[in-house]
Amino acid sequence: MNQTAPVSCIPAGKMSKAKKVLDEAREIQNPELDLADKGIATFEEMPGLLNMINVTRLTLSHNKIQDQINNCFRLVAVPPGLANLVNLEILNLFNNCITELPISLSQMPKLRILNVGMNRLDVLPRGFGAFPVLEVLDLTYNNLSEKNLPGNFFMMETLRALYLADNDFEYLPPEIGQLKNLQILVLRENDLVELPKEIGELARLRELHIQGNRLTVLPPEIGNLDLVSNKAVFRMEFNPWVTPIGDQLQVGISHVMDYIRSETYRYVYNRHQSAKGPPPPIETDKSKKISRAR
Amino acid sequence: MPGVTEMSLDHMFCSRCREGFVAHEKIVNSNGELWHPQCFVCAQCFRPFPDGIFYEFEGYKYCEHDFHVLFAPCCGKCGEFVIGRVIKAMNSNWHPQCFRCEECNGELADAGFIKCQGRALCHTCNARVKAGVLGKHICHQCHGVIDDKPLRFRGELYHPYHFNCTTCGIELNSEAREVRSRPGYAANEMNELYCLRCHDKMGIPICGACRRPIEERVVTALGKHWHVEHFVCAKCEKPFLGHRHYEKKGLAYCETHYHQLFGNLCFVCNQVISGDVFTALNKAWCVHHFACAFCDQKMNQKTKFFEFDLKPACKKCYDKFPQELKKRMRRMYDLNPKRIPPV
Repeated sequence: MNQTAPVSCIPAGKMSKAKKVLDEAREIQNPELDLADKGIATFEEMPGLLNMINVTRLTLSHNKIQDQINNCFRLVAVPPGLANLVNLEILNLFNNCITELPISLSQMPKLRILNVGMNRLDVLPRGFGAFPVLEVLDLTYNNLSEKNLPGNFFMMETLRALYLADNDFEYLPPEIGQLKNLQILVLRENDLVELPKEIGELARLRELHIQGNRLTVLPPEIGNLDLVSNKAVFRMEFNPWVTPIGDQLQVGISHVMDYIRSETYRYVYNRHQSAKGPPPPIETDKSKKISRAR
Repeated sequence: MPGVTEMSLDHMFCSRCREGFVAHEKIVNSNGELWHPQCFVCAQCFRPFPDGIFYEFEGYKYCEHDFHVLFAPCCGKCGEFVIGRVIKAMNSNWHPQCFRCEECNGELADAGFIKCQGRALCHTCNARVKAGVLGKHICHQCHGVIDDKPLRFRGELYHPYHFNCTTCGIELNSEAREVRSRPGYAANEMNELYCLRCHDKMGIPICGACRRPIEERVVTALGKHWHVEHFVCAKCEKPFLGHRHYEKKGLAYCETHYHQLFGNLCFVCNQVISGDVFTALNKAWCVHHFACAFCDQKMNQKTKFFEFDLKPACKKCYDKFPQELKKRMRRMYDLNPKRIPPV
């Protein structure tokens, strides 16, 4: 059954491009929808999509999906009805112009991988952390910080990878320690001035990216983690580290970890914490980030 | 009768009735005591002694019957009178042949006995009963308690020192091995004992887990031999029982735990990768799940891809990244070029 969108202010050529993919998928019962780089600006260009409940993957990266503002109403970029796709496991909205997500997404029973990287998210909706089986959450390159995370964000115990690079975090909430299954944590190029000691509770962590922040010391608890085996990656460059950490980093990550675990470092760390000076200044200019565009 | 005639009748009198004797009267003489024939009778039944046999007790004479009734002990086992040697033990009297060990029924009269919980036992049985209470074994050969480790041989327990190695003849210790000379032969009369040294030289495989010989199926893996049920996953300890195992650093793992521990779970489906593994960027993928992280296009070994936070980006996607981001990535690489170049 072909449905036509009720409001149509969209050029017919564009519409047919996405529509063609949907028609084909319906015809051959393909549960994986590739709609990357189709110039799509609104879900209305994909008629009938929300009824295709057998879809398991929906890729909409590199489009221009954004809120539609007409004279009298505002049409949100991602319709809440997207949650109708109860079999969806992978949703990729990378590189669009999304400023807000519907809370309904967090109710999707099978969603395992959600990529909302490179959008314009300033905030996540209340209750966003309710995803029952989410494993990979990619929020890279948005405008998020600890101030606009929902209260239940760190309740997503099934998460094994959390990508928060290129955002605006100054502090990482200590609740991060609740993500017991986390194997990958990316915090590259935020504004972090310190890390919580609870990061040492992430026993399964094997990838930690904290390069390009404002960090001076690491909590000694990070020594509990295995970040130097050949199956692990620890990236920590481009931070204003205290001299002993900086010196160890010159010779290698394993030297840093050995030093973090030493009694000497515990002393250095405690002294540093008690004589806390002002945090290092922000040196990066983020005004050119496309996530800032209005 | 010169003795009698020489004696004056005036000075002789009957031991029982104290009367004198009339001339030519018959006199009974017993150990120097004299009796009228009618007075020489059983002190109980007053009848003459049958066949002249009497029993004397505390100065009185009794016929055999009355003596038994009055004084002879009865055997605690068979209830018959005990004539001759009486064994007095356990508050009763016994024929020597009736006083036996209550465990093994061996005669105790000459061997001696030990009272054990109200029962008379021979030394051997006493030791065994006592050992049983203490949880110790009894040597099947000498019946002594085995204080150290016993040696099991043909189904019984022994002091190891009763045996010698079949090959070298050395006295055995509890380390000795019992070997079925015909593998699979059920009857253990065929079994032989060997000292550990000789046993090891015989080429019988030893299980790498329990260090005991393997007599049934042998699993050979990791350069060692194993009992089928002892070749187990180093993590969950379940035997592989012929299922595929994975080796890592001298240890064997089941499929699930090998992948769980050593990270060969697919980054996309999070399942154990059953077929070929695609490894890159500190991650692994099922071959058909390896795709660009940004547009989900499938990639293969030949596809050129870029690294972005250790995620694979196809060239098309990388080209779409904003200039300012690519500039930053370049700068980071230039300052820290140890890693794979982003372009």
